[in-house]
Amino acid sequence: MQMRLLIHDLKSDDFQKIFPDLSRDTMVISDNGTIHYCVGCFGCWVKTPAVCVIRDSYGDMGEYLSKCNEVIIISKCCYGGFSPFVKNVLDRSISYIHPYFVIRNGEMHHRRRYNNKIDLKVWFYGENITEKERITAERLVKANAVNLDCSVSKVTFIGSIKEMEGLIL
Amino acid sequence: MKIALINGSPKIKNSASGCLLKELKAFLEHNNNIISEYHFNKTQLSREEMEQLAQCNVLIFAFPIYVDGIPSHLLNCLMQLESFFSAIEEKNIIVYSIVNCGFYEGHQTAIAIEMMRNWCIKSGLCWGQGVGVGAGGMLVSIKNVSIGYGPKKNLGVAFKKLADNILKRSSGEDIFITANFPRILYKLAAEMGWRKSIKANGLKRKDLFLKK
Repeated sequence: MQMRLLIHDLKSDDFQKIFPDLSRDTMVISDNGTIHYCVGCFGCWVKTPAVCVIRDSYGDMGEYLSKCNEVIIISKCCYGGFSPFVKNVLDRSISYIHPYFVIRNGEMHHRRRYNNKIDLKVWFYGENITEKERITAERLVKANAVNLDCSVSKVTFIGSIKEMEGLIL
Repeated sequence: MKIALINGSPKIKNSASGCLLKELKAFLEHNNNIISEYHFNKTQLSREEMEQLAQCNVLIFAFPIYVDGIPSHLLNCLMQLESFFSAIEEKNIIVYSIVNCGFYEGHQTAIAIEMMRNWCIKSGLCWGQGVGVGAGGMLVSIKNVSIGYGPKKNLGVAFKKLADNILKRSSGEDIFITANFPRILYKLAAEMGWRKSIKANGLKRKDLFLKK
């Protein structure tokens, strides 16, 4: 069964307000305060292929991505990118792709490890998102989609997380 | 002039960012410059480190792109620095960034450089210049090749321009370079490297393709 993956950096009470009753086909990746940052060892490619060598709660992100057809990211917009937690989850997700290179759109990118098709939806929130940050963030999501070889159906910017209530699912 | 070289790689040793900073340092070691070195292979900075950085005239960051952006540990440090710098009214700091990527094309670092520029604005610092370096995967293996020669010819030209700007504390257009080495050979060498690494870990070549 294909599932939906929801990666977010919201506090649990805010999350509850936005998603009062989530269906069982949605897997949620939340910040439990224990995530370790990626140390760039490439162990997920050459030591324990397809799995991160750091065995905290976020070591199987590649597998989770391989089993879903929709990824929703909710993140504070930081300098035109994701928040440290969301970025940390993405950094720890590279076992989803293969170390070998392919040429895509005339540029070097990583080869697929899995065949599933992902549709990506991103919600950036923050009170002081500048126009420049917005442009950077749009470019970032496009680049992520090329590297993950997935599609992007929506990139939304909002001032406050309250605005997301009832809109996401 | 006080210059801080900041290695943003999470790797303790043998990082491409470390190699790049070492090369750049040689261009800056004169004119009574005081160069201090930092390694942000952590998520939190000490107050002492931030106070020292606030005393510098120039900050030079070197880091790899992770998933098209700034690695998360470094992002944590930058957010901490933003809060610290924003509270200082009088500051005269200019920031340069050298960003490398494992992909052949240096321009794939452009988004991370843009984020550093956005960070400067939020932190009230001046933006100097960005240099995006492609084929970062080979930088450690060619660390003994003299800069300006062979595969490091482009790097020599870019670092000369960057160093000139740093020494004048002036801004410049971002520069994107790759190794003077054919893309197809870089790709083949990288793939050979992955096969060698997985075998060194007691696994087989086909295990590179494992799925969960």
